Formats: sequence, structure tokens, C-alpha cells
Amino acid sequence: MRSLTILISCIVVASLLFLFVFNQKTEDRSDQPTKLRFVSLAWQEQALATNHSIVDEWNALHPEIQVDYVQGSWNSIYDYLITSFETGDVPDVFHYESGIIVDFAVRGYLTNLAPMLSDDTKHDILDIAWSSVTRSNGEVVGIPFLIESLVTLYNRDAFEQARIVAPTASNPWTWDELMSNAKHLTKDIDGDGNIDQWGVGIGLRSSANIIMNLSISFGGSYFYKENNAYVVRVGEPERKLLNVIHRSLYYDNSAAPSSIGQTGANMLPGFMSGKFAMLVGIGAWARQQLVENAPKSFRWGVIPPLKAENQNTGISTQTLSIPKKSKRQKEAMAFIEFMLNSQNAARLAKSDWMLPARKSCLAMKEFNTSPDGWDVVTNGVRFLKTGSWLGVPGYVEWKSRVVNPMLQELFANRLSVDEAARRIEVESNIVLQRHQMRDPQW
Amino acid sequence: MTKKKKILFTAGTHAGLILFISFLLFPLFWLTVTSLKSTTEIYSGSANMFPHIISWSHYASVVREEHILQSMWNSLIVGIISTIGSVALALPASYALVRYKSPANNAVLGWILSSQIFPAVLLVIPLYVILRNLHMTDSLFGLSLVYIVWSLPFVLWMLHGYMKGVPVELEEAAMMDGATTTQVLFRVLFPILLPAIGASAVFSFVSSWNEFFFALVLLKRPDYITLPVELAQYTGMEGQARTGPLAAASVIATIPSLLVFIVMRRWFASGLIAGAVKE
Repeated sequence: MRSLTILISCIVVASLLFLFVFNQKTEDRSDQPTKLRFVSLAWQEQALATNHSIVDEWNALHPEIQVDYVQGSWNSIYDYLITSFETGDVPDVFHYESGIIVDFAVRGYLTNLAPMLSDDTKHDILDIAWSSVTRSNGEVVGIPFLIESLVTLYNRDAFEQARIVAPTASNPWTWDELMSNAKHLTKDIDGDGNIDQWGVGIGLRSSANIIMNLSISFGGSYFYKENNAYVVRVGEPERKLLNVIHRSLYYDNSAAPSSIGQTGANMLPGFMSGKFAMLVGIGAWARQQLVENAPKSFRWGVIPPLKAENQNTGISTQTLSIPKKSKRQKEAMAFIEFMLNSQNAARLAKSDWMLPARKSCLAMKEFNTSPDGWDVVTNGVRFLKTGSWLGVPGYVEWKSRVVNPMLQELFANRLSVDEAARRIEVESNIVLQRHQMRDPQW
Repeated sequence: MTKKKKILFTAGTHAGLILFISFLLFPLFWLTVTSLKSTTEIYSGSANMFPHIISWSHYASVVREEHILQSMWNSLIVGIISTIGSVALALPASYALVRYKSPANNAVLGWILSSQIFPAVLLVIPLYVILRNLHMTDSLFGLSLVYIVWSLPFVLWMLHGYMKGVPVELEEAAMMDGATTTQVLFRVLFPILLPAIGASAVFSFVSSWNEFFFALVLLKRPDYITLPVELAQYTGMEGQARTGPLAAASVIATIPSLLVFIVMRRWFASGLIAGAVKE
């Protein structure tokens, strides 16, 4: 009797499982409007709400083409996309960043969007933003819509107490001035022999982005083309910024030692609590955290781009792209055009606290006001330059396997600048050669 | 050993245990405390052991705005199916491997063990292609099948070890008393194996509850997302995270796993050491 009960239970469980599978298949087969899958990486609350709202507006206006909003995450998007590209089950539109999508394009995963662009999109987006997503053969591999610019934040009260006047756009600081003021601001406030306020904090845990983008103002390039192939050189211009930071950590003692193991985001609470008078090389988005989470009494500001030989910094953009294997490319492009029209692009930039890539948006009043530093950030657009690394085959691997670990060792004082430079050159060129052998057409 | 020394030894042992347990529990404690702090307090940079004012806002936000309950439900479905599936397959397999001697047994066990060597990232694309051909991508059942296969080797090894410790004489005695093979299996072996089955089930459930990578790759529809994938969405660029909601969601996510473990802890403890020693 008991065996019979068990047998019946097994049959019931098996039937339920079958029904479960069957139901899923019938759902897929039923007649439905064209479905687009959009993977978004928005993650801050305001940005999430804006993305959802734009998708809802599209869906209401286009009942024949419905967009499924899929929430991606920055930590896992690379693996998610690679497996999608390899298996062919791709999202129709995905959000990511310029430095990586160009690498995807080199591997043949992305649609060339150049022939699909409307005149409005083509002409309204900044040329410098286009340069971040355009291959040397003219292919456009994504539509840039947010500019990730690096800024320096400062604590107004700490500056006033030290009688330091913050620089202005017409009278910017040089790196030397920044470091000399940082020394001034480094203090043992309570007299217990320990430093309570450091002049600067710099998120150096994965510092390749910061170092490469800021090195441009010193004339640093890292990537050079020799005999039609990329090579990495860490010469005098590249070493200047490395020396400045290394000196501030170990000789001037004006940079907080905690910089070594932390990202810029990790250092924000310390900035808000007064441990660092300045936060160097953090994304402009960090201002949102200050507005929402800093104590009401905390007063802060944004310093214009620092000057070395010039004030230039590297550009990195957030983008929307269409995989080559998407079966609904035309519809996907129509959705992108809607999502990134001037009005929506401004909403997206405002909610993510980044710069919009459209000229019409940058001219809007809301991106040129002083509160929250929008005017300083927007003014910095003229100093943006395309990094020489954009589009280099193997750049993603190079960054994570060679430069980030080597810079960690340098800033932990386990290597001298000269030794780090030598090792970066040797190890980088091994990685680059492997990729360039694979992609000789580049 | 004198009485004083004994007392000192016991006190020392207990103090060591308390320290060890505190060390193990501290992350959970810190997670809970963080989830109850206001966002401003989290960002204040001060490492308070207790929140100044208890705030439930992160829990409210997680439950109201996010898909945490849906993703928990999905994880629960996947966890239950994969647990039942892996134990149901491993139980007869381990019985056959122990009771029916064959030269192939060791090879089979070796092959099962070697399947654990391969990292998930190496298997995911072939697995995806197989599941796509079976129309089982983007399906909780398809993901459950993957989890069954993924946890089967360990569950099988656990049950195999335990099964080896059960004397064959018990089955023979039952048969002498007129029991059929089915009765022997369900009335004699099953009750003896319950601790091992419980332990294997807990292992299988917890591993599927926590699994991230396969769920990320195999499930595309937002309403099928499982809990670990949902939690990953609270992190942003440059390692930044929405710390409060992430902590609240993680506390909620820990509860079912903790409940399963509490309910089955006796089985789990006895099952884990099962088969460790051959008598």
C-alpha cells in the first residue's frame, strides 16, 4: 500500500514538472507583439526610476513593439554578455561602456550602427563622444549617451579653515599646487599624534582608469603605434603622475594611506566625515551620494580639471549597443533613438549625475548651475580627449591582468616607479602581441 | 588533573568557543545592523555597533520597489526541484554502487569525482547550447536540471559513504522475515539513511539557493531571476553599492537558508560525518 502511495506521489510530482515546462513553452509560443530585450545597468534609485519610466513610455506609444526591461549589474555584465554573444541568445539592446564595447566589436559581436543613425543623433552628439565608440574603419559600435568624467571634490570648511581659496575655471590649479595645498591640509587636529585629516584621498584599488585618464594632461599616452602594431611605453610623460601620487603617499604624507586598498566610492564616507579634505579622480556621479547622504552641515565643491602640461583628461562614455545576432535590429535602433532623444538623454544624465553626450542637453540650464557643481563638471567637457587605448585589441585583459595589479604593487610601495614602468612594458607587450596575432586586421 | 585545573580548562574551552562563534556570527550581525541603519548613518563613516535610530526603511524599500519576493520564490522553486532531483537520483545510484559489486564501480566513482574538477565558466556555453536545443533556457526547470547535475556528484559521494556503513545483514534479515525488495528499501534502509538524506538535501538546497553564475547566464526573463542575481543588482560602478537596501535584501535572503539549516541541523551534523569512518 505504501509503495503504491509513493508511486502515485512520484507520478504527481512528474506530472507537475511536466505541466511546469509545458506552461512555459506555451507562453513563448502564443501570439505576442515584437519583443525587445533591453539590458540596463542603471542602479542608482533615481536612474532606475528614469529608465523604467522611459521604457514604460515607449511601450505605451508602441504597442506593436514591446520592450522587456532586464536589470543587469556592473559586476556580472561582462560574463553575461560574452555568454550571450557566444550562444546567440542576445539582448536586443544593451547598456555598457565605451572602453569595453570596442573590444567586443573587434571580436565581431556588435552591429555597426553608422548606417542606422538619424541625422539628429549623428549631429547632436559630441564628436569627442563619437570618437569613444568609433573604430578606425569607421564602424560605430554604440551610441554614447553618458560621459563619465573624473572630478576632484573638496571640503569647503577644511579649505576655509586652512585659508585656501579653491581654484576656478579661469585660474585652475596645477598638480604641484594641489599637492602643496594637500600638505597644508594634512593635520593632526586633536593633537594626539595621529593625522585626523588627510589632504587628499584617491581610490587606488583598481587605478588603471584614473591613472590613464589623468596621465593625458601630462602628455602620457601608454599606447603607441609602431610598425602598424600597438606597443605600451611607460616613458617620462607616463611616469610623471605615478611619481606625483607615489610621492604624496610616501614622502609628503599628504595622501591617505587608505587610498591604496579602496575605490573612490569606498572613500566617500571618509570624505563626508572629514578624513580627506579632497577626493581626487572620482566620477562625477559621486556628487549624488553627497547630495543624498552627506550630513546637512557638510559643504563641498568641485575643483576644475587639474593642469599639468594641459587640463586634458580621457573620455569614457556609457553606451547603448545592438549585438550582431539580434534579430530585431531595426526595432532596436528605433527604441534607442527614442530612449536617447534630447529630452530623455537629459533625464538619464540628470538622474545618473553624469554628463549627457548631446550638445542640446549640455546647453540646458540644469547642467550649468552652480549648486552641486554642475557648471564645473559641464565646463570640463572641453578638456575631454580620446585615450589612445580605445579600440586596442586586448585592452580589457591588459587593464585587469597587467596594469591594475602592477599599479597596486607600486602604490603599496612594493615596487619603485622605474621598476613598475619596466614591468608594465614587458608584461603588457606579451598580452598585446597575443591579441594582435589573433586580430591582424586591426 | 585537579578540580581547579579542570574548571580552568573548561572555562578556557568555553571562552575559545564563544570567541570562535562570535567570529563566525559577526558578519551576520554586522549585516543585520547595517540593514537597520539609516543611509546617512551608513555613510557617516563611523563604525557603530548598533544603529542610533533603528530604521526599517531599507526593508520597506526592498519589499516595495524591488523584485525580491519574486526572486525568492524562484529560488525556492529551483531549490526544491533540484534538491528532490539530486537526492532521488543519488540514492538509488549510491545503493547500486555499494551493493552490486562490479569492476566498473571504481571507474564510475572516479569519473563522478573528476566531473567536479571543471569550473562552471568552462561548462556554461556547452550547457547553454544543450538546454537551448531542449527549449529549456530561460526556464526555472532547465536551471533546476543544471543544479541537479551540478550537486549530484557531491550528494552521491555523501550517500555512498553512508550507505557503505549500513550492514548488509539488516537487509538479509528483513528478507528472511519475508520482506520484498521494495519493503526492504523503504522500511529498512530509508529510515537508517534519513540523516544522510537530510544532510545531502540541505547541501543541495543551499548550493542551489546561493548559485549565481548559471542563473545569471541561463535566465533572461526578469520574472525568472533568482535571488543571488537579484542581489547583484544592488551594486554599481567602481564597487559602489546601495548598501542599505543590499544589506536588507541579504538579511531577507539568508532567512530561508537559515531556517532549512535550523530545522535539519541534527541530520546535517550526523550526516556530514556519515561514512567518514569504516567500521
